[in-house]
Amino acid sequence: MNSSPLSARKRISLSLMYVLYALVGVVFAGPLLYLFVASFKPDLQIVADMSSIKGFIPYGDLSFQNYKNIFAKMDFFKYFMNSTISTLLVVLFGTIINAMIGYALGLLDFRGKNLIVAAIIGLMIIPSEAVIINRMLVAADLHMLNTMSVLVIPALAYPAYVFLFYNHFKGMPKELLQAAIIDGSGYVRSFWSIMLPLSKPVMATVAIMTFIRRWGDLIWPTLVTRDDTYRTLPQAMKSLYSDAYVYWGEIFAFGSMVTIPTLIIFLIFQKQFIQSVASSGVKG
Amino acid sequence: MKKNPNRIADGQTSAAWLLSAPSLLIIIVFMLIPFVMAIVYSFTNKMLVANPNNPLRFVGFNNYLKVFTNDTSLQAFGNTAFFALLFVPFTVALSLLLAVFVNKAIKGIGFIRLIYFSPQVVSMTVVAVIWAFIFSPSEDGLLNSILASFGIEGKLWLKDPDMAMYGIAIMSIWQAIGMQMIIILGGLQYIPEEIYEAAKVDGAKKWQVFMKITIPMLKNTLNFVIITNTIAALKLFTQVYMLTDGGPQNSTNTVVLFMYNIGFSRNQIGYSSAMAVVFFVIVLIISLIQNKVITKGDK
Repeated sequence: MNSSPLSARKRISLSLMYVLYALVGVVFAGPLLYLFVASFKPDLQIVADMSSIKGFIPYGDLSFQNYKNIFAKMDFFKYFMNSTISTLLVVLFGTIINAMIGYALGLLDFRGKNLIVAAIIGLMIIPSEAVIINRMLVAADLHMLNTMSVLVIPALAYPAYVFLFYNHFKGMPKELLQAAIIDGSGYVRSFWSIMLPLSKPVMATVAIMTFIRRWGDLIWPTLVTRDDTYRTLPQAMKSLYSDAYVYWGEIFAFGSMVTIPTLIIFLIFQKQFIQSVASSGVKG
Repeated sequence: MKKNPNRIADGQTSAAWLLSAPSLLIIIVFMLIPFVMAIVYSFTNKMLVANPNNPLRFVGFNNYLKVFTNDTSLQAFGNTAFFALLFVPFTVALSLLLAVFVNKAIKGIGFIRLIYFSPQVVSMTVVAVIWAFIFSPSEDGLLNSILASFGIEGKLWLKDPDMAMYGIAIMSIWQAIGMQMIIILGGLQYIPEEIYEAAKVDGAKKWQVFMKITIPMLKNTLNFVIITNTIAALKLFTQVYMLTDGGPQNSTNTVVLFMYNIGFSRNQIGYSSAMAVVFFVIVLIISLIQNKVITKGDK
């Protein structure tokens, strides 16, 4: 084989690859681009642009009017804070308490441990949707309905994440813990000072999965909030879309405001995001 | 198996219970108790709001009879199965293709993967409204216009009972693919390069390499993807609750949506609980079958 015609062929096939990559990219990024572009257009133009490529192009009567309408129509900031606070609390405390029990089950030796591990594995199979109506009844009995805590507390512990941490800590060398104990650090303190800092990748995985699940959750907030005090963004989106007349411009403006924060978080943590997702199948 | 005879004295037991307590308490109160309640209530006429004329009583298998004889609930099971049969094969096949497609060490590949992954970051409620717009049923709707340029007749999509579930499946697949692609890509990168090189030396064709090396080496990852996506498909709720509320003509009513509607909107906790128990048993059976297939394949 002589090298120069091959490399020319390679170059052509590589450019062809990039064209293919771009075409597929349009399928995935196109709808999002459309969302952002249309959020700045008046409804009449959105509908007029719908049938052509013009829908993707920011032109014409661009303004923040749709955004202004959203703020005039609803207490967007309140819903945004409800979603943000409840999601962040679950991500923060949920990741920690699932790691705590995972460490206890994976590295410590105590009576009842095997039973708990078996129960956690059994509970992993129960889809939370199958218990969600009765979970709401429990929350009602505990007088938790329509509070911030009902959006947070039931979501904190999650059997699949407990299992993930359990597996992670079980695979850690016991000598590490024993050395810390001999050094006079207790079992609880060793968790915070030695084990947790060594568990960052698993914590990132659990935190990211929790974030995605909570931020987009619609069914639980719908079941447990009774007025708009603790209403979340997905619920507000639902009510916006259920209006008698669908104002696409406002829906797109709202959708953009819901999406941009997660997009920013995603771009900042993209490496951890991709790595933790990529490793989930290998472990599973 | 007592490695440490002084385990009580050194505080291991108390530390373990202290660290387990928060999760354990929450799992018992919000998972285990509701699960037991669902089983118990499924044999009663439990209402969401108690009715003094119809006090709580045992009704035997009546609720289960309703689940298996009521046309709407049977349709909900059928629709959910239909959705899973659309969603799982397409999601797995397309994300496998995409993973192989982006598994190249070329300039900008990280950015390309990022773009393909991006729908995963968008909340399902937002995905749903974007696609509701794309599926606008009019002649000049976005997707209908694209189809028209290929000479394909426009469809009513979510307004057509025969098409609505396909529309729901398309938007769900679109959102899911990027994440599954990255998971499979993670598996692909565990396949040793030497195997591919050896195959190349032996003169194997590309599709032969794919069928004989890539697929078998990816077996564990693919099994994981198939199981998690099957279970995710059976839980279909947000998209249909947002867009169709089960319609038109119940064509997109799903098990979870039906459970929600009869329990929460129509007050019948007993009936809803029976539906939940049946749903759980189905998920359990599917997990067990898939697990068995996997462990069998491992031998």
